[in-house]
Amino acid sequence: MMKNGFFFFIGLLAAFLLGWSSIPLLAHKQLGALTPFYDDGESSSFPTRPPGVAARGQLVYADLGCVACHTQQVRRPDFGSDKARGWGDRQSVARDYIFQGRPQLGESRIGPDLANWGVRQTPLDAAAIAQFLYSGVVTGAKAVSHPPFPFLFDDRPIDGEVAADALVGLAEKTPRRQVVPTERARTLIAYLQSLNNAYEYPEARHVEPAAAKEGAPK
Amino acid sequence: MSSTSTHAEVTAVDTAGRWPVLFLLASGLGWLVISGICALIASIQLHSPTFMSACEWFTHGRVSALAETSFVYGWAANAGLGIALWVLGRLGGSTLRAQNWSMIGTLFWNLGITLGLGGIATGDATSFALLELPRYVQPLLVVAYIAIGISGILAWSGRRTEGTYASHWYAVAALFLFPWLLIAAQTMLLWSPVGGVLQPIIDGWYVQSVFSLWLAPLALAGAYYVVPKITGQALPSYEFAPLAFWTLLFVGTMTGGRHLIGGPVPAWIPTLANAACWMVLFHYIVVTLNLRGALTGGGTSLAFISFGLLAYLAGAVLDAVTSFRGVALVTQFTYFTTAQQQLALYGGISMLLFGSIYFALPRLTGRPWNSGAFVRSHKVLAMVGIFLLVGSLAVAGLIQGTELSNAKTTLGEIAGRTRPWLLAVSVAQVLLLIGNILMLVNFLRSVCVLCCSGAASEAGSFRQPTTMEVHAS
Repeated sequence: MMKNGFFFFIGLLAAFLLGWSSIPLLAHKQLGALTPFYDDGESSSFPTRPPGVAARGQLVYADLGCVACHTQQVRRPDFGSDKARGWGDRQSVARDYIFQGRPQLGESRIGPDLANWGVRQTPLDAAAIAQFLYSGVVTGAKAVSHPPFPFLFDDRPIDGEVAADALVGLAEKTPRRQVVPTERARTLIAYLQSLNNAYEYPEARHVEPAAAKEGAPK
Repeated sequence: MSSTSTHAEVTAVDTAGRWPVLFLLASGLGWLVISGICALIASIQLHSPTFMSACEWFTHGRVSALAETSFVYGWAANAGLGIALWVLGRLGGSTLRAQNWSMIGTLFWNLGITLGLGGIATGDATSFALLELPRYVQPLLVVAYIAIGISGILAWSGRRTEGTYASHWYAVAALFLFPWLLIAAQTMLLWSPVGGVLQPIIDGWYVQSVFSLWLAPLALAGAYYVVPKITGQALPSYEFAPLAFWTLLFVGTMTGGRHLIGGPVPAWIPTLANAACWMVLFHYIVVTLNLRGALTGGGTSLAFISFGLLAYLAGAVLDAVTSFRGVALVTQFTYFTTAQQQLALYGGISMLLFGSIYFALPRLTGRPWNSGAFVRSHKVLAMVGIFLLVGSLAVAGLIQGTELSNAKTTLGEIAGRTRPWLLAVSVAQVLLLIGNILMLVNFLRSVCVLCCSGAASEAGSFRQPTTMEVHAS
């Protein structure tokens, strides 16, 4: 086989095809036709399609490379501290992502998981998120906890009235100027607010281990 | 240096076909320095998050993508292809053919990388790990790669001997498989994208295949050629080498799912990866046994190859251990994963390539390396740098992983506890960057001598391979 060029190439091709068919193709067969789940009780289907502005915001999230520090996948409640940290009550499942143009699963948790960021315990409003993205400081805190992204904002003189969404609290330093979120910032904020995987699909229900059930029945 | 290998030094195959190889190697080393600068910026941002973050081109996400892309497609690809062409030319026994194709291909490959990196910096990245290069340069890369590869395939098919060597298999496999791989990944992820979590699954397969079907074979092609040349002995346990080769190709690509443990994917994907990680260890053990002569041999090339060989093996063992769910519970999503990646790509692949380049360049130019001091400095800086880089990242990752599983520790506290180790990572990046600049300067000066003084005194040093090695040993 090693001496015969033809068979050597056939071997190489077979190696490639086996790897390709064993992961991409099999996974596609299993997941490629995944549909939303229709809930009779709520008379609607889940997941819901993200609004257009959020879908555009995901492109901003992707091009800034947010995925380098943030995951968007929650692990099972008994596998890691994801639930205890308030990142999500159930594990993420494949169905959560079917309407996402570019799922940003991520491989690094330098920052928190964002899969349910829009519906976390104390959701931020758009103005607070804008303030956070601009300064990198959580409202009320002193230290920087996130790289500041001033390039997502437009620092311009006040021409007539102050813009409705201009950042507050900067007036003392520069009374004649205002900092206004750009279009990209607005879509990114809308995307972050839309992150919500709270709906519980049948396949996502957590099965308690048998021993735990006996001890503390729910 | 034994007398048998002395004859192998005297060859016009190298000098007549040197320009495509030198072009590839020089491009690779240039990208390595650029990648090092990006990696340094990214590592500083880990302990000082405000560093350069106001500049949109250098957000942590973008600069990490720049560092990774220029490392793999700039450095490892160019240098690996250069070594593969050189090895195939030598084993083929005649001057490299289709040299113009290779030169033009290299030119366009590097133009594509330049354009692509600009695209990543300005926001056109695709956000797929290791496939960040924007869509508009992807077709160019396929065509340019095929043009470079033609020389190698011709040297293989037109070889003067019927038999083949392990270097042959690995070099030809890398040349032949990468275009298939790139086209498949582009089609499924960029041109006609699949939906939902299939994207990360397929990207995981692509990332692993880039390593198992392309980078590792390129690095091993050089190592399998250089080690017996220097030791002057047949490779031990060589009868297992074909099986080890096919094991890497058939099983290696299935280990990619280990990054998806606990994720929103079918459970068989990480389970298959776990089994595959342990099966593919056979390949790594056989390679280590085959090349173990490097560990006891002396000289610069063998020092790099020994380091690379051990890192290559250690990386595979770590992959196998962390592919268990219980271990991944701690190491997943942390700097430990980065440590493993750096161990494989820097410690394994790059060190093997360095070793081959240090052996190849004097044969290509017909002269010893310009500066022996630079060679020795690079050796020390690279070894200390990689040790510090991987070690610090691993410790930081273990701290991060342990603290992440304790829900009471905030992410800010974790950042504070990992900070000293992340500072060490930056130091390591500085050491590596200095070492790589030294190698680039040394390389360019060695090649420039060739241009300036012509080819008059080539034959002399070929007859005395030991003097050729003296600076580099």
